[in-house]
Formats: sequence, C-alpha cells, structure tokens
Amino acid sequence: MADYAPVDLTAEGQVEFELNGRRVSAPAGTMLVDAAYALGVEVPIFCYEPRLGAPIGACRMCLVEIEGMRGLQTACSTPVQPDMVVRTNSDIAKDGQDGVLEFLLENHPLDCPVCDKGGECPLQDRTFRFGPGRTRFVEAKRHFPKPLDLSSVIALDRERCISCYRCVRFSQDVAEDKALVMQERGAAAEIATLTGDQYEGRFTGNVIDICPVGALTSIPYRFTARPWDVTNTPSICGHDATGTNVELTLREGHVARVTARPEPNYAVEEGWLSDLSRFAYEGNRAPDRLTAPLIRDDGRVKEASLDDAVDAAALVLGRGGRVGILVGPTATVEEGFLAQELARTALGGARIQRLGIPGAGLDAIRSQPRAELGDIDGAGLVVIVGGDPPNQQSIVELRVRKARRRGAAVITVGPRPHALEPVGTAVRSEPGRLAAAIAALDLPEAASTIVLWDEADLAAEPDAAGALARIVGDRGASQIELGADVNGAGLRALGLGAGDVLEAAAAGEIDTLLTIHADPLDGPGAADWGWALGRVRARIAIAAYASAVTDASTVVIPAATHYETDGVYVSMTGRAQRLRPGATAPAGAAPGWELLIALAHRLGAPPPYRSAARAFAAAAAARPALAGLDYDVIGVLGAPVAAVTPVSPNGVNGPREAAGTGLPLVTTTRIFGNAAAHRSEALASVRTGAELVLNPAEGERLGIADGARARLRSPHGECILAVRLAADHPAGAAFATTGVPGAGVERLLPADRGPVNVEIEAP
Amino acid sequence: MNAAAISAHIEPIRHEYAEGRSLILPALKYAQTEKGHLTREDIEAVAEATGFSAAYVESVASFYDRLYLQPTGQRVVSVCVTLSCMLRGSDELMERICDRAGVSHHGGTSEDGMITVQEAQCLGYCDHAPAVQVDAEQTRGPLTLDDADALVDELRTSPRPDELWR
Repeated sequence: MADYAPVDLTAEGQVEFELNGRRVSAPAGTMLVDAAYALGVEVPIFCYEPRLGAPIGACRMCLVEIEGMRGLQTACSTPVQPDMVVRTNSDIAKDGQDGVLEFLLENHPLDCPVCDKGGECPLQDRTFRFGPGRTRFVEAKRHFPKPLDLSSVIALDRERCISCYRCVRFSQDVAEDKALVMQERGAAAEIATLTGDQYEGRFTGNVIDICPVGALTSIPYRFTARPWDVTNTPSICGHDATGTNVELTLREGHVARVTARPEPNYAVEEGWLSDLSRFAYEGNRAPDRLTAPLIRDDGRVKEASLDDAVDAAALVLGRGGRVGILVGPTATVEEGFLAQELARTALGGARIQRLGIPGAGLDAIRSQPRAELGDIDGAGLVVIVGGDPPNQQSIVELRVRKARRRGAAVITVGPRPHALEPVGTAVRSEPGRLAAAIAALDLPEAASTIVLWDEADLAAEPDAAGALARIVGDRGASQIELGADVNGAGLRALGLGAGDVLEAAAAGEIDTLLTIHADPLDGPGAADWGWALGRVRARIAIAAYASAVTDASTVVIPAATHYETDGVYVSMTGRAQRLRPGATAPAGAAPGWELLIALAHRLGAPPPYRSAARAFAAAAAARPALAGLDYDVIGVLGAPVAAVTPVSPNGVNGPREAAGTGLPLVTTTRIFGNAAAHRSEALASVRTGAELVLNPAEGERLGIADGARARLRSPHGECILAVRLAADHPAGAAFATTGVPGAGVERLLPADRGPVNVEIEAP
Repeated sequence: MNAAAISAHIEPIRHEYAEGRSLILPALKYAQTEKGHLTREDIEAVAEATGFSAAYVESVASFYDRLYLQPTGQRVVSVCVTLSCMLRGSDELMERICDRAGVSHHGGTSEDGMITVQEAQCLGYCDHAPAVQVDAEQTRGPLTLDDADALVDELRTSPRPDELWR
C-alpha cells in the first residue's frame, strides 16, 4: 500500500545530507525512509506506515548505517539531520537487514503457494530483494489451528503474522474502535479481539490492505485469484457521495475485489475505505440485477435483444406524448447530460429532473469557500452540522478523528446521536430547529475552521443554511457538504433541478416516463411519486437493478453499474473523478451513456459523439460548472468543478414548518442498512434493518414497549417498524431508519425530504 | 467483580501513576482476588473503571503469567525452573509436585480442582533454591522432594484464602 509518505523535495527548509555517497536534500523533519524513497533509494520496511501516526520501529527491517551513531538505526523513526552520512547498502547495513529478515522468517511458514498474499506480498518481495535467501533455523516453527475468522470478512492466519502492529495501530489510532490488540507475548503473541468478539466496525477491511504479510486476508476474496491473473483498475466508489478512490480487481470479467489504491488520494480518502465501499461489490451480481432487456406488451413479458429493446423504447418515446425524464442519484455526469440532450433535441419539450434534494436554500452555504476532505486534518476547529457522517459519508469520520488527534476542537450540532459526537462537544438540536442551535453556538477561536454540513438536514431548514453561511463567511472558514446522493453534485453541475417531473406528473401532464438509474417508488416521497405516476401511460426504464419501477415498465433496458462503466462522478466536495470499468456488463446490459446515445440515434437526433469521453467533453463545453474539464484533466486523482456562484446568506425564508401532527420525524441511516449492503453476501452478518427509536419516556407516553411494533403515519404515507427504546435518543422526536430496502420509511417523507411529523400507534 | 468496586480500589492510588493505563495492572490484580481468575465480566469491569477498551485490558492480562484468564485450582503452586533452581534440582521437584498433585509433568490443575501446578521463571529466591511460590505472596525454599509431598498435602487440606493475591 502507500508504505512511504509523499515528500516534497522542492519545499522550503531543506536539509542537506549524504545518502549512499550522494549529496542530497530533503525537507527538515522528513523520516529517513521517506526521504530515501523520494530520492530513489528503497529502504525495506514492514511496520512503517505513515498514515498510522508516529513510527514505532517494531519490525527493525529498515536498519541503516549512520556515521557517528553506534549500531544500526531504524530509518523509519530517524528524521533527516544536516550533514548526516547515511549508508543503506553498506555491508554492515545489509548484514542488519539480512539478520532481521532471517528473524522475521523464523516462525513464518513457507506456505506462499497456498497463501492469498503470494505474488503481492511485501514480505515475499523484500525477502527476495533484501533477504539472505537461506535460513539457519532448524527448530520447529510455531503452529496454530488455521485459519481463524476475525470477522465474517477477515481471516487471520496467526502463524504468518510478523507482529508489525499495523492492524493494531489502525484499530487503536485510526479507526479508534480499540478492538484489535496483540495478546500474549513473545513467540506466542497473536493478533486478537476481546475473546469471543468479532472484529466488527465501519472500517475493518483496511487491516487487510495494510497487512504486509498474508496474516489478514479477505474472506470473500480468499482463494479466488492470483495477482498475475487479475487486472487492477483505479475507479471511484459509487456507494456514497465522498468520492472515495478505490481500485477494482477484475478477474474473468467480474469484480473480484475492491481495495484502496496503492497510491492513495490524499485529498479524499487517504487510502482508507469503509467496509461498504470495500465489500458492496458482491452486490454487482446480486439476484435482483437486471441482465436481459424486457418488453411488456398487453400484459405479456418477453425478453428481447438490446437492439430491439432500444428500438421499442424509441418507438414508445417517439409517439408524441408528453415525456418526463428522471435521472437517478447514481447516474453519471454523462448519463445526466445525454438525458438533457434528449430532452432538448429528440424529445423537445420533455420535462427532466434528477431524483434528489432540490435544496433551493442551500446555495448560500454551497457558495462559501469549499474545502477538501484532506483539509480537515489540518483544521483547528471542525464543526459538524446535522447528519450522521459515520454512517452516511463514512470516511469523513476518520478525517475528523485524525483532526482531533492533531489537536483540533470538534463541535457537533444536530438532532440525532452519532458516533462522532463523543469525539468532541456535542450540541443536541431540537428537530427542525437547527437554526436556533447554530445561532446559539459558542465557537472557540481557531486559526482555521472547517464546517461540515448535512445536505438533507439543511435543505429542510433553509434559514439554518443561511445562518451557517453567515458564520462561515464571518470566520473566513471553509465548508464541506455532507452530500446525500452519490452523484448529486455532478447532476447539479449540469443544471438539473429536482422537482419538475413530479410537479408535472401530479398535474397529469406526463404521458411517458423515462427513468435512468432512477427508482422514485422506493426512495423519499415514494408514496407521493406513486400517486403522481399513476396517470403515466408508458414507462421506459434504464436501470441496473429490478425495482417497483422496472416491474411496471413497458420497456426495461438493463444498464451497467458504476463498476462497469466509464463516467464521471462529482463528489460532495466538488471533485470530478473518473469511473473506469473494472468489470464487463452482463451480455444483456450496456453502459447508460451508450444506451442513451443509441436512443438518440433511433429518435433521429444523433449526437456528434460516440464515446463517454466525447460525451463528457460536450457536457463540459455546454455547462459552465464543468468548464475546462475533460478526461485527461480529471486524470487519476480528479479535478475540481467550478465553484457555485455566490449567493447572499441573507433573505432566506424562516423555518419550514413540518407537515402533519404527532412527533417530528428524524430520519437516520445505517452504513450497512441500505440496498447496496443488503445485496452483498459479504456484508450479510453486519447488515441492519429499519427500526423506530424512541426515548423511553416517549415509549411510555405512547404505550409502546421495547421490541414491539408500531405503525407510523405521516401526511404522505405510512409504514410499520420494530421499536427500540433508547435513552441516548432525546424525547420529542421519532427516529426512523431510512434506506433499508422494503422497510418503507421513505413513504413517510415528501420527495424533497422536507420535515414531517408522524403519528405513532400500535398496529 | 464490578466496576464500582474496582474504582474504589484504584482511585486512591491513581496519583501514583503518571499514565492512566498503568492503573490497568493493579485493577486486574485486584479484580482477580475475588475468584482467583479473571472472567469476561471482570475484564469489562476493569475496562469500565480504567476507561480503556475491554480488548486492550484483556491484552494486558494475557501478557502476564500471574493473571489468569482461565479458572485455576483453589491454590496455585509455581515452581521456579530458572537456572539456580534448575541446578539445584527443580526438574525433579516439579515432577514430584506434579505427581503428588496428580497432574502431568507439564503442570496443570488437579482433578479435584484443589491445586494448579505451573512452571515459573526466576522468583528472586535463588539463595533458597529450589524454590516454589504458593499463590502470589508466599515463597518457600529450599524444598526437598519430601517437602514437596508435604506441601501438596498441606495445600490440599488448607482453606483457600479469602482474598487471593496471585
């Protein structure tokens, strides 16, 4: 993995020293291993991992000779000093490295042929390059019954462990879940959790990536492939709005594994993935995946070829009725743009919208200076307003924890408890009254302030967005949006609104509906959408997974998922990044951009391009927010889209009053409680369902016991949920989990996810 | 043992330790006096009293030989097998004690659950080699093989101390 920290050899304050007889320089404070690597000299390491914090010198692999110092020194924990004379390849340094490797290999089994790490194993590689190649150890190696399941996704082969402590430090110092430890001592030392516990959390899979040997391996990937029969492709995670950079391991046309990239994107995820990003790929071949085009005719359903399905879709769309186009939150920028082009040319007059939060009042805060996730590390004060980043934009949690470890003050304000509240000072706001809580915030002085704000929570309270924007402006702070939708920012950059089609459909002005990765009947406002779409006569669905929409569509055209298509996603911080196909779409499916271009051809308005890259270039030329971008500019690490035009934070409306009677509904989400997690077998043992959480006092008042079931009813719709009474949740609100497939909490909400009250009763 | 009892024991001595985590050891030692070994509940209580994770507390307990994560016999005999004692016959002494207690020569707990025999590294009692330690506080030596028999018989019939410091 990342192994060595990036070093800026042109920075101010360089220190000159001698490395293997060469006069070189590196910035003061750089660790010798990093400086050497940047200067083209590899000092072997195992335990060193700059992202885990200060070096601990546990493995002793990086021994080098430094003139004037007794014995060999560990280069990982020795900063460069002026005029030091370092030799990494002298006889004595080589002897030290040989000795350490011989020690590390004493108890290490020679099971490389059956070890998953073989071929991409730092221990194997460095033994070949730096090791003695011969052992003098004739005694019996230690043996363990093998392997041990550390969790449902991580296998532990204890005899392979070289006690480098990387995984323990990740758990203790990065994820701070404090669950992984080294038990016993000496030759008996082993990685473990509290006896009887599994290693479960939001970030556990990262220990697989950082293990420098085959001790920790991925159970879903175990024994499926060898490094030489896979190809790795850099891409973007399509399961949250953070734009996490990932690497897709492709084998025989399928995604076999998702890992962090060998060169992390330090501005975004810094090489740490959430377990959702890492293990959701198994859902790419889930049973509800659409693999064959369908045409419904007089109640009969028949499978068709892609060509015939696109023909049929063009026929239906071209009949002259009033067309509405829905672009879902996982659609790429290209797909959104091509849909807009269809509405502008071939289907002139068609209404089009994205499925998402309209967020009319959010431009005041969105137009404040943006920060990247990587900027959180260096902030003096981090303010989190609303939301639940650990569950919704998980990797933000690691950044905030890192900032706190570096001394930043953390203040959270919001209506729902979440895992980052104990990290700093937590202010509980009343539901629908964020503005008052923001106004009452007493923020300490800080050299730099970053405000993270939740899109859905602030969209429901435009005056809170204005109040927050004023604070950001007054303090000279920068802001990060905690976005709700994967490519919400990308679709907004295209100028797609979020209300047109619903409005027109409700008024009976839509005859034909084209959905692109859009599933309005399972999302927020599902009940309202159900009513509005009742009068639509024909539906065309371009979708990857079966849904209530595809079940009732005249033509269903299977689309590639984000694992299988080229495209651009814009992250919630405004970073345009490229999806690269790591897998081949099923035979009966094609990338959405290809399908939309084909549709435009059939409808007699062929666009002048035939590739995703050219489609994106056309989008960039046509939309000011994307100006100057193309696939080359975006490159491997992404590029920012244009800033939002400044909007005054003053003159926003007062609080939006919630519709309906009863308790205010506070929606919650769970990282493993969404369709992606429910589709992935790997996440089967951690996935969670929907529940209604009430303060015990509310439970008593309503006469509802812990574990009972309750019916929730809002002006929009109703659903039935299991009830949990929890004292850490405040009274005066009903907390219900959204996003869980089949639970129906979305039916309670309006399509714009605005505030509602719910009546609760025993069913 | 519950967290409140452990807190009551460690709070008065907290000022003696520069780092909070150093309190885990006296807390574990005290928690063990109740049953003679540490259960998951004890580990969790120490975690709560010291503010560290249960996994971390268990890792500390697992490092030390005299903190027991499995039940032991009523009394524990630790036979020193380090150099001085070995030269003075600790191998034979260990075997004799094991035979008398009815456990294998590697040590273990007797079937009646009265005595656990284990090897120990240097007890600092080299001038009395070969030496053994009974529970935590009592070190005896030099022991002849007959003394060993007497020791095992004595421990088998003597009552278990109210507070077990091991």
